[in-house]
Amino acid sequence: MKSSKSAAPEREFASKKKLSPIQILLYAFLILICITYIFPLLWVFNVSFKTNKEIFSAPFALPEKITFDNFSFAWTAGHLGTATLNSFIVCVAALVLSTIIGSMAAFGIARMRWKGAKLAMTYFLTGMMIPIHCVLIPLFTRFAKMGLSNSLIGLIIPYLTFSLPITIFIMTGFFKGIPNELIECACMEGANIFQIFFRICLPLSRTGLFVTGLMTFVGNWNELLLAMVFISDDAKKTLPVSLSKFVGPYNTNYSQMFAAIIIAIIPTIIVYCVFSNKIVDGLTAGAVKG
Amino acid sequence: MDKMLRNKKSILVFMLPAFILFTLVLFIPIVQSVYYSFCEYKGMTAPVFIGLDNYKALISDKTFGIALKNSMFFLIFSCVSQLIIGLIYAAVLTNIKAGRNLFKNIIYLPCVLSSAALGLMWMFIFSPKLGINQLLEKMGDKEPPLWLMDTKGYITLPMWVIAFVALWQYVGQSMMLYMAQISGINKSLMEASYIDGCTKVKTFRYITLPLIKPMVATAMSLNAIGSLKFFDLIFNMTEGGPNHKTEVLATHLYQQGFKYFKYGYASAIGVVLLVLCLLVTLFINKVVKTEQYEM
Repeated sequence: MKSSKSAAPEREFASKKKLSPIQILLYAFLILICITYIFPLLWVFNVSFKTNKEIFSAPFALPEKITFDNFSFAWTAGHLGTATLNSFIVCVAALVLSTIIGSMAAFGIARMRWKGAKLAMTYFLTGMMIPIHCVLIPLFTRFAKMGLSNSLIGLIIPYLTFSLPITIFIMTGFFKGIPNELIECACMEGANIFQIFFRICLPLSRTGLFVTGLMTFVGNWNELLLAMVFISDDAKKTLPVSLSKFVGPYNTNYSQMFAAIIIAIIPTIIVYCVFSNKIVDGLTAGAVKG
Repeated sequence: MDKMLRNKKSILVFMLPAFILFTLVLFIPIVQSVYYSFCEYKGMTAPVFIGLDNYKALISDKTFGIALKNSMFFLIFSCVSQLIIGLIYAAVLTNIKAGRNLFKNIIYLPCVLSSAALGLMWMFIFSPKLGINQLLEKMGDKEPPLWLMDTKGYITLPMWVIAFVALWQYVGQSMMLYMAQISGINKSLMEASYIDGCTKVKTFRYITLPLIKPMVATAMSLNAIGSLKFFDLIFNMTEGGPNHKTEVLATHLYQQGFKYFKYGYASAIGVVLLVLCLLVTLFINKVVKTEQYEM
């Protein structure tokens, strides 16, 4: 044990001193890859500050002067401001509701003792394989009859439901991992089943809540098809829909469209930069389990 | 305690909200959708049962043929390319000494961005007068390719472009899945193989690859279902054009259902999509056998 401890830093020190040719090759490869990831985003960012003329006369130079006119125009004329707010409302509501309802069902499956638990699990899991496209038409006609099309509630309901399978699946795993003694103990102290759920099981499964919350939020934030079908009123559109409508073949002012793209992705990029490690690990953990 | 956990009323309270939502919003619509696919249903009037006519029409529909072909191309391309590229990235990233997190996070970034926005971004990059073509003109290329407007070939150029953009966007996820699995392999196994005289490449072939096989099945079925559902990028890059050459099942469904309001016909496309999703999942789980090793 002792020898390995002292050997490790030595080896590290030696490796820092000179990189082997293979390592240099690997780094060159990775840097090349990362350029393909960063350069397109930087190009859009750069162009969004230019005027339409500049885009064609000097495509790769830096903009002559920095103005935010393009951004403010896209923000108001493209309804991106209201769209961001709508997206936020819909996603937060769907997130909160699906987490509560989903983890309640997961608790019922993982912890309560009844015969149908396994069957219920299978029933919910089939939802993961169903593509959203198949239910689009019946849902749309039904919601139109109920007056739910063109309303944010009409978006929240399907978003929340499509988030349920993954939430239930992941949370069931976490609830099953809680030791029986803890629940027994709480029971002896006189806690009822809801106290056990809210005070003991939920706080112990924080990691699971984080992972499922992240997955559902990111998924719903970027969802385009359902929102596009259900919402036709400009004031109710979500971010991906407003963006797709604003940036299209009928618009000829390129720099404003580029500004709109930047507005749409910059919040995600900022959040990602701050919490990137947590987000990547959380989403991967969710995908592994799913 | 047993009594409390068997209490029918509290079980009901826990299960009912999810059950009702799931049934009303997901399960009943699926059944309805299957029913509509056997109906003449144009939106204004009530659905009328017409048997298999919608499916017969699908067979003679040229655009459906293109959409099916493109979806299949997409499915195969994304499964194969994501497997290979994802594995290469994962292998490279696990073998570098510093800066692993930085590279990993950069490659993963597009996975969390809106594919609608990224689709628009790539649409501009590959548009005839902007982006890549400006770069090519600067380098002296007099007749740069039309990229997304090209219509020649069995699998047209736009499809390849879109497929590569999709690979660019989602390969981070496959990479992360493989990396998670590789980092779970016991180090002593690797060391044992080095002592037995294996090179790094050999170790990767005979130790790492067999041990990450279960993850290959997971990642592949995620890719497969994702590529069948694929909509956002295509819709924003080409809208299925030029001349329906880049139509996939999802965009065709959207066009038929919500541009021409042929609900019955679009439901039939939806049923085809659903069946494909189920078949592909079953197929992958059968073929890529998930042998469990002691790790």
